[in-house]
Amino acid sequence: MVQRFLSLLLILAAMASIVYATPFGQPGTISPALVLGFMLLAAYCIGFLLEQKGLPRITGYIFAGLLLGPHFLNFYSKEAVLDLSFLNSLALAFIAFCAGGELKLANLRSKLKSIIFLISGVTSVVFTGVTLVVFLLSGLMPFMSRFDTVTKIAVSAIFGVIAVARSPSSAIAVISETKAKGNYTDTVLSVTVAMDVVIIIFFAVVMSACELLMTPGSSLSPVFLLDLLLEIVVAFVLGFLLGKLIIFLIEKLKVEFPVVITAMGFLVIKFSHLIGDYLQGHLDMHVNLEPLLICMAAGFTVQNFSKHGSTFLHRMDNVSYPIYIAFFAITGASINVEVLKTAWFLGLVIVITRIIMIYIGSTLSGRLSGDPPVIFRNTWLGFITQAGVSLGLLAEVVRRFPEFGPAIQTILIAAITLNQVVGPIAFKFALFKVGEAKR
Amino acid sequence: MKLLLAFVIMLVIAVLGSRFTFLDRRASLGFRSIMLTGTEYIFIGVLLGSLGLDILDTEALKKMEPFLILALCWVGFLFGLQFKIRDLKKLPGFYFFISAAQAVMTFCLVALAMYFILKPFAVATALIVTPYVELPGIALLMIALTLGSSSSCTAQSALAIVSKTYKFKNRRLLDLMRYISGLDGFYALCFFAAAVSILPGVGAAGFNLLQSLKWLSFSCILGIIPALIFISLSRLRFSNQEFLLFLIGTVTFCGGLAYQLDYSPLISGLVCGVFTANFSRHHMRAFSEILHAEKSIYVILLLLLGAAWKFQTGYILIVTAIYITVRILGKLLGTYLGAKIFNPGFKVPPTCGLCLLSEGGHAVAIIMSFKLLYPSIAEPLVTILVLSLIVNEIISPWFILSQCTPIDPLLGEKKEQA
Repeated sequence: MVQRFLSLLLILAAMASIVYATPFGQPGTISPALVLGFMLLAAYCIGFLLEQKGLPRITGYIFAGLLLGPHFLNFYSKEAVLDLSFLNSLALAFIAFCAGGELKLANLRSKLKSIIFLISGVTSVVFTGVTLVVFLLSGLMPFMSRFDTVTKIAVSAIFGVIAVARSPSSAIAVISETKAKGNYTDTVLSVTVAMDVVIIIFFAVVMSACELLMTPGSSLSPVFLLDLLLEIVVAFVLGFLLGKLIIFLIEKLKVEFPVVITAMGFLVIKFSHLIGDYLQGHLDMHVNLEPLLICMAAGFTVQNFSKHGSTFLHRMDNVSYPIYIAFFAITGASINVEVLKTAWFLGLVIVITRIIMIYIGSTLSGRLSGDPPVIFRNTWLGFITQAGVSLGLLAEVVRRFPEFGPAIQTILIAAITLNQVVGPIAFKFALFKVGEAKR
Repeated sequence: MKLLLAFVIMLVIAVLGSRFTFLDRRASLGFRSIMLTGTEYIFIGVLLGSLGLDILDTEALKKMEPFLILALCWVGFLFGLQFKIRDLKKLPGFYFFISAAQAVMTFCLVALAMYFILKPFAVATALIVTPYVELPGIALLMIALTLGSSSSCTAQSALAIVSKTYKFKNRRLLDLMRYISGLDGFYALCFFAAAVSILPGVGAAGFNLLQSLKWLSFSCILGIIPALIFISLSRLRFSNQEFLLFLIGTVTFCGGLAYQLDYSPLISGLVCGVFTANFSRHHMRAFSEILHAEKSIYVILLLLLGAAWKFQTGYILIVTAIYITVRILGKLLGTYLGAKIFNPGFKVPPTCGLCLLSEGGHAVAIIMSFKLLYPSIAEPLVTILVLSLIVNEIISPWFILSQCTPIDPLLGEKKEQA
């Protein structure tokens, strides 16, 4: 621990000598390469140190981004963070590929009943509960005060859908840390992983519905539902084809594989947006291809329609660390502290509402599916964590609704950060409580 | 959109290209030498750049600068990692001395020739432009020394192709050539550091010895600090993923630090690598991880070089011809004198310097590094290097064959017949 602390001091001293002191002459704007290198090393050390204090590393990375960024220590400016925002697209593609790859049909079949009940129960209860609470509190949110009722419902639904998302990576991390094995562990993991697919489809539906509701003079119609279905089917087909291409490449490429895959994901994300913008601008067609769904379908195809599923995940995992750290640190650096000062209370309310709704949803669904009491009474503790996918979806919200997206992002990042702190601790506690944790 | 397209095209070409570069074994030696050093990527870069499709235009190239910084620092770091003093001491001394002799000779001859040939043309042809127009002599000296340092580099590609294809009687000579070409990059980078220190930074008002020494010292400090961070991070137990993070973070931080303060990421990367090689327990692991991306990084450098190339005709073609000729002369004379003075104990043909013509990756890194620091006066250097690279890659395998006596016909052809 002391060693890491010394490393952090050395990194901070080197950076401070450039930003604050001027032995080399006054620097102009800080180069993105320097910010990235600094962010990677410093966020890693801070994440490590906080982990020693019992906090999850991801929280450390987000905290590092916030602490070192423009609002506190000012080692880099908002513009520098903006210059690195392309890394978010890379990370999102990565997260979606891995989420799809984690979904093994063979594992899901054995617990299909539980999974279906838990997903549908928790999703509907959490979505409805959080949407309702946010709608009721909309008067307290300055950015929502000028909206009409329909827009308020739409914006509240965005809060609701993000609240449904979980973090498979955190769940896997806690399970491997405690070496847990058993019925409870399998149920939580299967639902969390399967939920990743559901949430992205659900997100696509909610976002399209919100856009429609916010467009003056339009209303929900069968044509809209058909369009939406078409968007999802097209995304799945494209994802399947991309997955087939990955299966072909996985045999041909080795060391370079993750780089090519990341480039592909980046391409998918950017071109999905460009195609949508182009069709909207030139042909007045409203088509939103959900890039995360395409990437996830690709990962799913590799896992379930080839023999390379574990190789795929292993190779992605090998290089994922720097990408994740950069992503979480940039997310932390993007937090708008001014908005957070006024919105922390709302974040806290959303966290509490979400946890209550998860408890109600999972207990009811567990009872209905016939799970043993020891499982359905504790599953809610395993569903609190939120991380990568939620943050990725938030980035998409900001892109699609630039006028109020950043405000939603700030409130929900506060909530996600809190969930990320509480979630792993709660899950670890539950694993010990049901007697499935080994250490 | 353009930047996105440029980014993805570059990434895919770099990664896939680095794999397929080695495939065609039936092509002529010169052609294979070009393919092995990846010279064809310069042309792809030209095609993508302002001379071709204009996908990698000036703005896109500016936005690509973080990648260039990372690539240059990566090259320096990788090269520096090979300089573990304890290991190098095990090698016979004559390797170093002969290598140094030919590098110094080539550097001096080319730098001198370039200085005197470019001098009459410099101001008239706008070679020296703002902000160096007030200092034509010093700027010219810096250009000449940089060309000298790039000329002293030798790539191992031609030697690798020839030794893969043929068996030789005088194996020891080939080994000597291989070691020389492996070592002279170090001298070249030292010459380059000295060249740039003459006029450190765009704002320098003229030559000042103290400023130059300060520049050299800070270049070293900017390499040592990230190396210390890397060593400190890797002292505790870590996973593979964490180690990769340490490497990427250290190299990016080192390159970023150097560039931010108008220093060369290549030189700081080299210092960082040498320091890591000698003081870190994990230098071999670092080397093997860094080596994975070597080819892709070189391909990116070559693509950027091609895209940044603004083809010039006229006097610069004459200068290039002289550069190539004097370089050959330097290699010949340097190796001959080196072998005479520091006797290796076996027969070395007097013209064996002809085995060292292939120019390769370090020369590209030097010129790209110069372009990063002094963009307004780097154009002629890019032209000279690109043309010299092509010519040298074509001729070098034939010259190697003329010096080392092969005892087997083409192994490739034999295998095919079998």
